[in-house]
Formats: sequence, structure tokens, C-alpha cells
Amino acid sequence: MTTTPAITAEDLWQVFGPDPLTAFRRAQSDASSPEDIARVLDASGHIPAVRGVSFDVAPGELFVIMGLSGSGKSTVVRGLSRLLQPTSGAVRLYGEDILAASKSRMNALRRNKIGMVFQHFGLFPHMTVIDNVAYPLKVARVSQKERYARVRPVLEMLGLQGRDTAYPRELSGGQRQRVGIARSLAGDCSIWFLDEPFSALDPLIRRQLQDEFLTIRKRLNTTIVFITHDITEALKLADRIAIMRDGQIVQIGTPAEIVLNPVDDYVRDFARDVARGRHARVGSIMRNDLRDIPGDTPGLNPDMTLEDALAFCVERYDPVPVRDPAGQVLGHVYPHDLAKALQAEKA
Amino acid sequence: MTLSRLCLATLLATGSAHAAELGAVDEPIKLAINEWTGQHVTTHVAGEMLEAAGYTVEYVTAGMMNQFQALADGDITATLEIWSSNVSDEYAKKIDDGTVVELGDLGLDAKEGLAYPAHVAELCPGLPDWQALKDCAGVFATAETLPMGRLVDYPADWGTPGAERMAGFGLPFKAVPAGSEGALIAELRAATEKKSPLFIVFWQPHWAMSAYDVQFVDVPVGNDDCFTDAAWGPNPDATMDCGFSPSRIFKASWSGMADKWPAAFEILSNYTLAVEDQQPMMGAVDVDGGSVEDVVADWMAANEAAWKPVVDAALN
Amino acid sequence: MTRRPGVLAAGLTALVGALCLLLQDTAPFLFAFPKTWTIPTTDWVGSVLETILGAIKPAMRWFSWLIAYPMDGLNAVLNGLPWPVLIGAVTALGWHLGGLRLALLGLAGFGFVLLSGYWSESMNTLALVAVSVPLAMIFGGTIGILANEAPRLRNPLLGVLDAMQTIPTFAYLTPLLLLFGFGPVVGLVASAIYAAPPMARNMLLGLERIDSEVKEAAIMSGATRAQQLFQVEIPTARHQIMVGVNQCLMAALSMVIIAAVIGGFDDIGWEVLLTMRKAQFGQALLAGLVIVLFAIVIDRLSAAMARDRKRFNSRISFVIFGIGLVAGAALYLTANTTPPTGLLGPVAEMVDEWLSRFTVVNATLMDDIKNTSMFYGLLPLRIGLDDAVLPFTWGFQWTKAMSLVLFGISALTCTALIWLGKPVVGLLFLIGMGLLETGITNLPWPFFLTAIGSLAWVASGRKLAILSVCLLVTILVSGLWERALLSLYLSGAAVLTCTAFGGVLGVVSANSTVVWRLLRPVCDLLQTIPLFVFLIPVLMFFQIGEFSAFLAICAYAIVPMIRYTRHGIVTTPPEMIEAATANGATTWQILRDIRLPYAAPSILLGLNQTILYAFAMLVIAALVGTTGLGQSIYLALGQADVGLGVSAGAAMAILAFIADRLVQSFAEDRRKALGL
Repeated sequence: MTTTPAITAEDLWQVFGPDPLTAFRRAQSDASSPEDIARVLDASGHIPAVRGVSFDVAPGELFVIMGLSGSGKSTVVRGLSRLLQPTSGAVRLYGEDILAASKSRMNALRRNKIGMVFQHFGLFPHMTVIDNVAYPLKVARVSQKERYARVRPVLEMLGLQGRDTAYPRELSGGQRQRVGIARSLAGDCSIWFLDEPFSALDPLIRRQLQDEFLTIRKRLNTTIVFITHDITEALKLADRIAIMRDGQIVQIGTPAEIVLNPVDDYVRDFARDVARGRHARVGSIMRNDLRDIPGDTPGLNPDMTLEDALAFCVERYDPVPVRDPAGQVLGHVYPHDLAKALQAEKA
Repeated sequence: MTLSRLCLATLLATGSAHAAELGAVDEPIKLAINEWTGQHVTTHVAGEMLEAAGYTVEYVTAGMMNQFQALADGDITATLEIWSSNVSDEYAKKIDDGTVVELGDLGLDAKEGLAYPAHVAELCPGLPDWQALKDCAGVFATAETLPMGRLVDYPADWGTPGAERMAGFGLPFKAVPAGSEGALIAELRAATEKKSPLFIVFWQPHWAMSAYDVQFVDVPVGNDDCFTDAAWGPNPDATMDCGFSPSRIFKASWSGMADKWPAAFEILSNYTLAVEDQQPMMGAVDVDGGSVEDVVADWMAANEAAWKPVVDAALN
Repeated sequence: MTRRPGVLAAGLTALVGALCLLLQDTAPFLFAFPKTWTIPTTDWVGSVLETILGAIKPAMRWFSWLIAYPMDGLNAVLNGLPWPVLIGAVTALGWHLGGLRLALLGLAGFGFVLLSGYWSESMNTLALVAVSVPLAMIFGGTIGILANEAPRLRNPLLGVLDAMQTIPTFAYLTPLLLLFGFGPVVGLVASAIYAAPPMARNMLLGLERIDSEVKEAAIMSGATRAQQLFQVEIPTARHQIMVGVNQCLMAALSMVIIAAVIGGFDDIGWEVLLTMRKAQFGQALLAGLVIVLFAIVIDRLSAAMARDRKRFNSRISFVIFGIGLVAGAALYLTANTTPPTGLLGPVAEMVDEWLSRFTVVNATLMDDIKNTSMFYGLLPLRIGLDDAVLPFTWGFQWTKAMSLVLFGISALTCTALIWLGKPVVGLLFLIGMGLLETGITNLPWPFFLTAIGSLAWVASGRKLAILSVCLLVTILVSGLWERALLSLYLSGAAVLTCTAFGGVLGVVSANSTVVWRLLRPVCDLLQTIPLFVFLIPVLMFFQIGEFSAFLAICAYAIVPMIRYTRHGIVTTPPEMIEAATANGATTWQILRDIRLPYAAPSILLGLNQTILYAFAMLVIAALVGTTGLGQSIYLALGQADVGLGVSAGAAMAILAFIADRLVQSFAEDRRKALGL
């Protein structure tokens, strides 16, 4: 049995330039592979920002698109939300072809189904927090009383209670993005696009919001496309990651697959600085030979990260001496303490 | 003053006048106020006469050059001091259209000509005879006109009578258009104060005539032949070797006025004002600083015999 | 990229110049465009326009009738209110927006208006502005929105805005008079036309500058286009739009004097014209200052409104307004509502007397200044060295051989400069020498066309070159060429002078706050006072003629040069200066190597504005007896000649347009080079 994917992108092309549509059709008739089409487009003075991107996102999945700036990741999400009309290809939300949808259907979808969060928040500077958040309801002509009543729980969920009459300029960056998130949730969205939502924030605030985001996600169970350029963020949040380069998807996989089995040097470079131990799971390195080991030995479980597994194993060894340059023993480190220190970071 | 020319002229004119309907007395008659004091005096005297006849009068400021469209549309009812030397082509067009009608002469005696402030006579001995100018062109020369002398002509939109006269008389002067009346007055004022040479085209009645003691140059009095026949006059090879043809000063109104305010139309048609009356009032305003309304009211009170008959003739 | 067309253009220009010089005697038509080659475009324009005007006249008359209501109403209210009420209201508003400082400004400004004795005239002016500004805002705002919504219309609309700002108002007063009928409505519409472009530009700029994510957020909220525009984009762009409102107000005020030329309204502009006609400098200055003070008060108040600052205690505002109301009521009850008149009259007379004394005392000095500038500056520029260098003035006679030598030297220098990789400089040098030798008004038209075409090509490309040449040819065949050259000469001379003096003043005031503090109010005054006022003293010092006109133009056009030069230098990033200082550069070296190059785009923008201002002033300069296009426009106004007026206006706009585009292209290059 196959369920309908929440989001389907099929051979999406986004070409910029003086006459993208004609140029693309001509290029398509001249060449077949995406690389060749892109080359022909380039020569005609057009920029193929997205080159034949396809993927499915399952309902409730958190799908992260990651890439360097200029890789086309933000353009993809703008095609999915139809902020840009893709030059070619199809986008289906729960099977509905939104590229063919009428203006009013699109507005209805955006008011009730799709939410979007922006890198620089995109707040309306002349509106208070509550008016910002309630704007999708306002354009749907919900009365002021009702829309305030409806958005209050959202404000509370994001810890914005008591700030509803403040203006965006009076808020800190982190608070601003909370408003941006709250607004995207005001219409009870089932599909959620986030375009580098935490990139403009300080590291500490970023981590805090990431954690809150995960909580919210669990609560709402929406389908999410999340754009980022930060591999750590991608690995931390994603169910699946698509890595983009030059407008194409290079690899799609779970975080562990990306870290442990990069398809090429580009992806490997990304994963290089990542502490693998923190992202790969025991399951991914486990051998399937069932040796006879005493039954009472506590074991690892396949979902444990390698780091945790290391700590767990280390606990069972003897103390190790520590020496000064002359070789004099200064004392002992107990692997037990080492493991504790490693685990403390997680807690 | 009591029996001025105004009185005489009006008596003659009203002899043939017959009584007329007042017309739309509840609607104001709009009289144009142009840019110069003499015109203000002329207009306010006429306005008070209309009010004495029972009309309401509204004074509307209007650029002299731009008032004729308004007159044709009836936005202005009448304008009372048009100088023939200085009237735009548009006026002729409107007369042809039949949207504006002339109301006859105002009776002001105007004079235009080549002129200079009195102190210039010392710089160019022989003035006011025009022949003297032949030899002192150098006195009037400036950087722009060297080696010729400089004549400040009317603003270009009033025509170029000065340039025509210089060609006519064969005088070594270059005519420089003044640009505006204010520019002419500023020249007069500066020249008088600095006692510097100045040769201009000017006219009377004008308050500056007395304020800066402006004198006219004596030139042969012209007739029509002077403007068409080169042989006429001191210069056998050119026309225009004579004084200016006398300016007519007249009144005009919206063509609908005669039907709407018949009596007022008649009053304005028969209204005249002499230089001897206008000039003292101008002085009282420009030199002594009185307001036009007060000065005219005083004059009206003192000279009832001069204007009352015109009003009465139209009403009875 | 620019090197090859540069070489080609310079070569072509030099060739045409040399040919013209050689053929001077055999082919006189190269110098004076033959009358028989012209076509009666002005008549055609006239008859076409009159037909169109006749067709839309009824609708416009209806509009005229409609707009008279708010105007008369406002007029009645402003004139009916006892003066303390209005002064109280302005002071209270000042407090609300900017505390004590603005409250005092409002009080002093309107207090001066009261003391000047022109209260009721001023109220009429205020009513005119109060109606024309909303009109201009709606009109301009709509254009701005339209240009934003329909990208295809953007460039044509920007062209229309340029035309609205560069065609002198006097040129279209006659058609307006025909359309709207006599009365204040004409002045109102004229000032609305003039004031709308800044509103439109700022509206467009504001809408274009909105953070794209804000726009996207509105779309993703499911807003319709109208909801996006009116609920999100326009409110988000409000700061920029308020800048537009502010400029719109200033422009409308500066048009007050133009409205008065038509008349029909007893306003302050009419008073300026009357006193001007009598050459009463003191009184004209007094009436002019009323307009300046209105401008300053309105400018500061609306600028404060544009800022998002905290508002001041409204209770104090109410108290101030209350005092005004009580005082007004008191005056009303004692039937003492007529405002005092002429309290400042004696001051005006003193100013007038001072002017007379100054004129007399400095007569010789003024003559010397005038003659020197004429002989060695203006005359050579107008009629060229070959006519201006006479034994009488320069001590020797210019000969044909000297012309050829000069031309040869400049061609060589040009070649050398191109060799050094500076084709633009070379080309400019060549054209400059050509100008100096023959004088602008004697310039052979083929040389002129080639030179401008080449410059446009080098500066921007083929499109601008073709457009410029085509536009110039229309002037050529319309028979307005000679007058256009005269206008070009006068404004060119003014622009050169303003660039030199304004540049120096800008640099000095960038380096000395004392100088800037002294210069700034002068700049403000020069930009807002009706310049008619200054024609009187200029005329008394220097008489009717080119020199006075030249000075009048300079007085107005120098302001942007000073402002932009100073601004460019002052805004040099401090880290660049610190880096230069750390490298041991002296103050002068920093100025030359760091600040001036960095300020170049800003200075070029100032030059651009100076050029536009100089053209705008040509019409006013015609009041002191110049003989260029400005005079044609006056003639047309007097004769109600729609064709001539509009054609001359268009010719002026064409010259301004070409100059503007040339300078802007160079500025764009500089900006790109600096990565701004």
C-alpha cells in the first residue's frame, strides 16, 4: 500500500533571464541531460537556478534541503510555495497540482494549508505582534475578535504572551522569529515551509529555537520542508536530507547515510567537520554476527549515537594512568569519569 | 478738478444714452485687477460707480496678458484699462470670436517714447533732441553692446519698438529687451541713484515718470506715412524714423454682459477717466502709501459731479 | 569596453570639427541652419494641441468647478478663523511632533507671517497649497503604484515624470488656462503637476525597496494583490512615502509664485509680483520670506511626522491650542478679528534704503566685476575666442591661423589622452576646445550633433546616442535651434561656474562645521524663496542683460552642488580614512586620494541636479531680458500661443534630458567602479 506523498516535486526547473520559457523549451529540444540543458541555457544568457529537481515528502516527514548559498535551495522552496512560478515541472500537494491552481485557490491554500517562515522574518513593521500573527486570518476576512481569540494559543505556544501589542522593531531577533513562526502557524497549516529560519540568529538563541521547533513539530505533526546551509542543523532536525549543488540534488538520505556514505567529495566535505559520533547510530555500524556473549551483559541499542555507545563501552574499562613529560605518573583517569563527561553534554 | 475732462466727456456721451434694465443685481460683476496701480485706480472708480447704481462688485486679480480667456468665458466681466501698445494677439482672436466686446476708449491720454532720467542730460549734452544721441552712444555703451550704445527696450512680449526706432533713426544703439516691467523700474532706480547713464523706452501715465524724473526724447511727431514710407522723416532710407503712434487705452467686456447687466454695461461703456484724475490718485497710493480703496473713496466723494451723471443716465 | 567606441567617437568628432572649420567660408549652412530647411512644427504642435484641448475641455471645466468647492471652503475657514487660533494650532502641532523646538519654530514662523501684514494673502496661499498637495499626492501616488504594478509601464512613466519636472511650468500655463478656465484652479493644477513627480518617485522607490520577504510573507498569508498593496506594502513603505509628501509640499510651495502670474487669487505670490513690478526690494523680500517661512515650518513639521519618534505630551499641545482658542474668541468677541497690518513695513523700507546706498557706493566695483566676467568669461563662451578677442578688450586680434593652431593642438592632446587610455577625457577636451574657439552660439550644428552623439555613445551606448541625436534634430528642424543654443550657453556658463564654486564651497563646508553652519541657512533660503525677489538687487547692481541672468541662475543652481559635494565627502566611511591615516597620508592627500574619489558619484549627482536647476531657472532669467528659449516661453504666454510655448518648453526639456542622462551614465559607471 502506498500513501499519497504530502509534497511531490517532479523535474522542477527554475530559469531566470530575459525569456526563460522559450529559452528552456529550445534548450530542452537541443539537449537531454540536465547538465547539457543547463549549458545551453547558460550560453543564451539565462540562469538555470534549479535544474530538474524531483523528490517526495511523506506526510508528517521533516525534509531538510541543504546546500551552500547559490545552490538553488531557496529557489526550490519558492517554487514549492509558488512564490515563483517554476519554468517547468510539477508540484503536487496531497496530489493536487498547485502550479495549475487558480489565484483564488492558491490564496485559499495559503490561508489554510501552507505556512512559511523566512530567514529575515518578513514581519510587517507597521503591525503589532498580534496583528502580524493574525494577518492570514485577516485576509480571510475573519472578524478581529475571532482572529485574536484564535491566535492567542499560538502566541502562548511560542512564549509571546504579554508582547502582543509590541511592534517588531521593539523585539529581539529571536522574538521576531517567534512571531514569524507564530504567523505561519496561524492558519493551522498542514504543510510548513521554513527558509533558513534560524540562520540570522545568535548560536545560543538558534539552539533554543531549534529545540522548541522540534517540540512544536511533535505536537502539530505537520509536513515540513526546512531549508538550511548548516549541516549540524540539518543533521539535528531532519528525517531526511537532500543536499543541493548548482541547482541539482546531489544526494537524498537520512542523516546517517549522509554522514557515513557520502556519494561524492562535495557531500563528504560537508560531513567532514561533523562529529560523526554524535549523528551516526549504532545500527549503522553493527555487524550481524551473533556471537555467544554472557546474557547478563547490558548491551547497546541500535538507535544510540556512536558517541553514547563509546561512552557506554568505555565505562567498562580499567583506569588509565596519566603521566608528565618525564614519564612520572601523575594520577589516573577512570573511563567511567570520561564517559560521564561525554554524556553530560547531552543531558 | 471739479469740471475735469471726465465730466465733459461723460456728459457728451450720456446725451445719447437711454435708460436700461439693471439685470442680475444679485450676481456680482467681476472686474479684473491687473498688475499696475493706475489700473487699480481706474477699476475701483468704475467699481464704485457700479455699486452706486446698486450692483455688487467683485475685484478679481488677473494677469494682464492672461485675462482674455477669462473674459471670453465670463469668469471676468470686464477689464477697464487695455493698452493698445501692449495687448496680446489673443484679444484680437476673442474679438473675432465674438466672445469679448470692446467698450470704447477710457479717455486716458497715454504717451510712449524714448526716454531717460533727467540726470542723463548732463552726460549727453544736447538732450532732449534726438540728434544728440548720435554722438553720445559711447556714453551708454556696456560690455554686451560694445561698441554700440545700450537702449533698454520693452519686454520682448510687448513688442520691440525701441529696436525699430534705432534702425529707423540710424542710431548706433543696440536694443536690449527688458524682460519685465520690474526690470525696467530697477534700471531706472539704479541709474537715478548712481547717476549713471540710461536710455530706455518708457510710457506715461506711470508713477515712475515723476519718481525718477523721466524725460522723453524729442523726436519728429509721426503720422501713418512714417510707418510705411521710407522717404518720410529725417532718415530717407528707413521707416519708423518718428515718435510712437499714440496708444489707445480702452475697455472691454464679456460679450454676455450687455444682456445680463444692461445698465452696468452702459455705465462701463460710457465711463472715462482722465490722466489728471488718475495720476494724483496713483501718487497717493504709490508714493504716499494710501490704500487704493481709501484714495478712490475720497476722490469719489469729492468729485461726485464727475461720475454721478454717467450712473444716472444709465438708470433713468 | 569603452575604449574602442571612445577612440572612434573622438576621431569622428575631430574630423567633423575640422571639416566645419575648413568649410566655414564655402558652406555657411553648416553654421546657421537654413530657415528653409525648417518645418513649422510649432504651428503643428499648436493646432494638434488645440484640437485635443478643445475635446477634453468640458470634462476639465467640470473638474475645475468641482475643485473650486474645497478650495473656497478652506479659504473661508482659514480667513474666517481669528489668527490666534491658527497660530495656536500650529504651535500645538509643533509641540506634539517635536517638543519645544518645533513649537517655537511654528510660533515664530506664523508670528512672522502675522507681523508681515500679509496674513489674509498668506491664508489664501495656504488654502491653495492645502488643496493642491493632496491632489498632487493622489496623482503622484497613483503614478508610482502604476509603475510598480506594471513593469512595462515603468520606464515610460519615469519619462513622463522627467518631462513634468523639466518642462517649465510657464510653457503649459496657456493650455491649462484654456482647459480649466481662469482662476486659482489653473495655479492649483500647475502646482499639482509640478509637485506630483517627487511623490511618484518616492512611492515607487518605497515600494521597490520593501524587503522581498515582507512581500512574500503577505503572499504566503494568502492576501490578494489589493490586500498586499494596501495592507502591507504601502504601510511598510510609509517612511519613503512621507519623504515624498515632504518634497511634494516644498514643490507646491515653490510654485505659488507661478500660480500668481495667472492671478484670480489674492495670494502672497501676487504680492511678490506687485512689489517686484515696482522694484521695491524690501517689500518683495518681506513677501518672499513669508513663503520661505511657510516652507520651513511645513518642511520641519512634515519631516518630524515622517520619523517614527515618540510623540510629545499631548496635554501640553491641548493647553497651547486652548490658549489660541481663548485668545481667538476674545478677539472675536471684541470684534477685533482683522490681523494687524504692516508692522514690519519700516524694516522693509530700511532694507530697501540699504540696497540703494549699497548700489551707489559700490557702483564702480560692480561695473568692474561685470565687465571682467563678460569680456574674459561669458563673451568667449557665447561667441567664441575668434569673435570675442578684440584689440579693444584683449589687446590683440584673433586670426584664422590661431584657430587652426588651437584646433590642431587640441586634436593632438585628444589623441595623446586616448593613447593613455582616457578616451572620455580626450573627447571632452576636444569638444571643450571647439566650444571655446567658436563659442556655443556659433557652433556648427554638424559638430554639435556629432559631439553629443559621441559623448552619449561613450557614456551609455548606442541607444542613448541615437535618442539624443534624434531629439536634437527635432529642435534643429523646428527652427528653435538658435534660441536653444543661447539657452545652452547661458545655463552652460552657469553650470560651469556653479560646479567650480559650489564644489569648492562643498569641500570647505565638509571640512569646517563653522562654514557649513553659515552656509546652510543660505542654501535653504535660496531654494525656497521665490527667486523673483533677488532679481531686483541683481538688476540694480548689474543692469538688465546676460550677466544678471547668469548670476540669477547661479544663485539657484549652486545649491545642489554644495550640498551633494559636502554630503559625498562627509559620508566617506571612517575606516577608509583611518586606513589612509595609518598609512601616513596628510589631510590634503586623504582629501585628494580617498574622500574626493569616494564622493565622486555623489558629486556627479549634484552636478546633475545643478544642470536641471539651471535649466529650470532659464525662464525666470528671461525676466531680466535674456533671449533664449525662456523668452520664447514668455512670448508664447503673452500671446496665448500654445504651439510655441509647448515646443519651446519641450526643447528646453530635451536639452535638460540629454545633459541629465549623460551625467547619470558617468555617475553610474563611477558607482559601479566603487561597488556601491
